[in-house]
Amino acid sequence: MAALLETENLKKHYQMGDVVVRALDGVSISVSDGEFLALLGASGSGKSTLLNLIAGLDRPTSGSLRIEGNDLSAMSPEELSRHRRSNVGIIFQSFNLVSTMSALDNVTLSMMFAGVSKIEREQRAGQLLESMGLGGRQRHRPKELSGGEQQRVAISRALANKPRVLLADEPTGNLDSRTSREIMQVLKELNEREGKAIILVTHDANLAAQYAHRTITLMDGTVLSESTS
Amino acid sequence: MITGDTFGLSLRNLRQSKLRTALTTIGVSIGIASLGGMLSLGVGFQDQITGRLMQAGLFDSITVMDPAILGGPGALLAERGGLRGGRGRGATPTPSPKLNDETLKKLAALDNVLEVYPNLRVPVELKIDDFTRTLTASGVPMSSKGQGSFQTFSYGAFFAGDSDASCMLTLDTAKQIAEQNPGSLIGKTATLSYASSVTNTAESLNVPAGLQVQRTETSCRIAGIIERDPGGIPGGGGLTGIMVPMGMAKTMDAQAIVNLQSFLRDPSQAKAYGAVTVKVKQARFTQDVEDKLRGMGFTVFSINDALKGAKTAFIVLDIFLSLIGSIALAVSSLGIVNTMVMSILERTREIGIMKAIGASDNDIRKIFLIEASVIGLMGGFVGVGIGWIVGQAINIGGGIYIRSQGGTPAPLFYFPLWLAAASIAFSIVVSLIAGSYPASRAARLDPIQALRHD
Repeated sequence: MAALLETENLKKHYQMGDVVVRALDGVSISVSDGEFLALLGASGSGKSTLLNLIAGLDRPTSGSLRIEGNDLSAMSPEELSRHRRSNVGIIFQSFNLVSTMSALDNVTLSMMFAGVSKIEREQRAGQLLESMGLGGRQRHRPKELSGGEQQRVAISRALANKPRVLLADEPTGNLDSRTSREIMQVLKELNEREGKAIILVTHDANLAAQYAHRTITLMDGTVLSESTS
Repeated sequence: MITGDTFGLSLRNLRQSKLRTALTTIGVSIGIASLGGMLSLGVGFQDQITGRLMQAGLFDSITVMDPAILGGPGALLAERGGLRGGRGRGATPTPSPKLNDETLKKLAALDNVLEVYPNLRVPVELKIDDFTRTLTASGVPMSSKGQGSFQTFSYGAFFAGDSDASCMLTLDTAKQIAEQNPGSLIGKTATLSYASSVTNTAESLNVPAGLQVQRTETSCRIAGIIERDPGGIPGGGGLTGIMVPMGMAKTMDAQAIVNLQSFLRDPSQAKAYGAVTVKVKQARFTQDVEDKLRGMGFTVFSINDALKGAKTAFIVLDIFLSLIGSIALAVSSLGIVNTMVMSILERTREIGIMKAIGASDNDIRKIFLIEASVIGLMGGFVGVGIGWIVGQAINIGGGIYIRSQGGTPAPLFYFPLWLAAASIAFSIVVSLIAGSYPASRAARLDPIQALRHD
């Protein structure tokens, strides 16, 4: 499989008062197209920082991060926002839906930023919600939906602009075990049926082993180990 | 991102916080109302004064006077005019050339001069039905048709011809004659009586030879009543209560005893006028022609001299009024900044989400700038409305008061369309400026920080 994403000696340092926090301290990994990768680690290991860098929400201190050959660290803010809306789809632990918008509007929002016409985006959002089993709940606000339903809306939103890779940051962290399994099943199907590359950030080794093709364990901002399941 | 969608998101945000939007809009509208109201006061004031002068047709006319004939007031004016003109600068005063028909022809031949006509004033006794009153009749040339005060007629129309036996009245005069229905005077015949001198040589009538005063009567049909009385402007072509065609006025003037000079005039000498009006082709030539006439030794007066100071005064007045009005607008623009900053604080997480799913900094900035300008637009409209209503209320209230004091009411506030449009545009611009800081603050938000925000 071709390399979709590659990092080389990626570093992210924060200045906290007089102390320099080395959130990432030289990480070199590569993700292939269609791969299901898990980033495992305790809190503070740097796994979320790495995900934020891949998502283009943050910029590395040094090192390179290439997606399909393009270096994110060299991108302008405008190019980074384009990367966020078309290359990646992000799924958060806390769903991060706009509370004042309906499920449908939340999904259409990301397509709005991509300049998709109203008719087209509402049609696609409807299809996505339908496929997530939320056909009848399109007009509901997030607070009228269960946690699992909210996360399905968030997944629909992440898929709206047909990204190459889905970035899931502890997607089941706020869900009960049964719903967690359902959500993980959705991700697994997206990976298997549609060939979406998925990068899952988790602290749960079982979850990683159960669903991911490959698991990279991080500790103190460096790669501790790598295993294939 | 499609512009329509950006608008959609902005409007949605405004609808989300209706109360805050409404309060901020009211704040802006009060600011715009006070600024627009102040300016409309300035414009109204200016309009009252320049409007009167315009109506009098004074911008393109120069009055040439013969101080000797005009007597006391004329000499006084001439002296004042002379301070600016060529005469008062230590040079020994030379008498002005006589203003007779020959001189008039010479003046009419000057560059950029449209026409020259004498200012004829004849004291008459006006008689219509039972009404009798002594007033001054003035001569109006046919070229004044549709100009100045003759743009708006309350009733009737301009004279049909120069030698027509017709006359026009001002509305004030007409109301004195027929309080209830001034319009009924149109078509009626007025009798004008004036004193004329005859040189009596026939001794057969058994009266001593010499000057005699007799009463001469002439009549005219009332053709029109003009609405606006431009008032007596010193030396200017100010109109009088009754106006007759120039041809008729000349006939009357030739016979009438207007003042002591005309009474004692040697009949063998050409008739000289007290003052003549020189109309220039365009108002911008007034100064040139005025200077030329002064150089020829005439005593001249034009409204330009008086207006130079007035123009500066109007600009100062407008600046002063708009400064007062701007205070409220400055406060309300701070209101916009406050509202927007609050709104950004409240929506920090939402902004973070939008950025995470692909909104660019520019998208976010535009959303907030549009919000600000929509507040400005609405505030502008409401403000112009408030300003107009308050202005009208004061106009009406003031009108009632002025009328009760026996004056002629004039609108104090004047809100022309350009002022309304400019106020709304200014409101949007001010709102955009006020919104630019919060908008760029929103655009610069770090998405990771924003997503952690509750």
